[in-house]
Amino acid sequence: MSPDTNETPDLLGPGDEALLRELRAAARRFDPPPDSVLEAARGSLTWRTIDAELAALEFDSAVDQATTAVRGGEGPRLLTFAAPGLNIEVEVSPIGPRRQLVGQLVPAQPARIDVRHAGGVTTVRADQLGRFDADAISAGPVSLRCHLGDAPSSVPVVTEWIPL
Amino acid sequence: MGASIDVRDLARAAAAGDQHGWDGLVERFGGLVWSTVRAHGLGPGDGADAAQTTWLLLAEQLERLEDQHERLGVWLAATARRESLRLLGAARVAAAAAPPPSPEPPAGAAGAPGREALLWRVIRELPEHCRRLLRVLLTAPPPSHEEVSAALDLPVTGIAAARDACLQDFRHRMVNIGIRTELEDS
Repeated sequence: MSPDTNETPDLLGPGDEALLRELRAAARRFDPPPDSVLEAARGSLTWRTIDAELAALEFDSAVDQATTAVRGGEGPRLLTFAAPGLNIEVEVSPIGPRRQLVGQLVPAQPARIDVRHAGGVTTVRADQLGRFDADAISAGPVSLRCHLGDAPSSVPVVTEWIPL
Repeated sequence: MGASIDVRDLARAAAAGDQHGWDGLVERFGGLVWSTVRAHGLGPGDGADAAQTTWLLLAEQLERLEDQHERLGVWLAATARRESLRLLGAARVAAAAAPPPSPEPPAGAAGAPGREALLWRVIRELPEHCRRLLRVLLTAPPPSHEEVSAALDLPVTGIAAARDACLQDFRHRMVNIGIRTELEDS
């Protein structure tokens, strides 16, 4: 892959260009993307769900309340994901390196929920009131895949990934 | 020109589930995602989480992003920035009572000999805005100004001037410690 394929709309002096080249070599030596990070990136494609409805992250107490809840650190982190016709509310509590999730589907309905995380896939059920919980979820990126109701053919709803 | 067509082809293949196409995207933009999270001061652990979340989000949304396939680097840089800020925010709330962890543990170069190590140390001593800008600009392969703009939320039009000022600052510091750079040589 040629290093000069990107457009460079401004003129860079020859001295600057040489300096940048040298600095780029230093960056490559001292802070390259770790192999484990690139390996995980290559493995990410296998997690995609084809033909799913995407539930976007609408609220994250860690970010949206970061300024008001400065005394925080107490209580679970609250997340809300929204898809057309479905909200997924999740409370996240850290237990050492693991996470415990307690959730609620709105409107309330039963579902099978795959919690996808670094440790694999943990499948739990939401009851008639839409409540579910999952223990021993690995810290790191997490996504929920919800198969609503009892119809196995229904389109699953997949939340955005979020590091927990 | 060639680059954007390549990226579009890779993205289309990856969106259809082709692993080789996806690997091509990782090869092209893996450095950009990493330097974006590092520029925001994330250490190796949080940086790895932010980077992986960025790639997982892309995998999930690639089909829907068809109109952005040729600007995928911009999308990835903006997403890596957003995920970096999320992790920084989450860490701040979790550690509200405790002092914040030191943002970026020294990356290499500490005791390494040689000119490259020296250059890297001087970069790390630059003011924060220069350190961040250079960290992204020094990505391999070199990012476009649009990608740098998305990674750091800076106006595209100001990047060249900011870069030149930061390189100037860098040269001054090198001269102060008695090291020559190419400007004097050429």
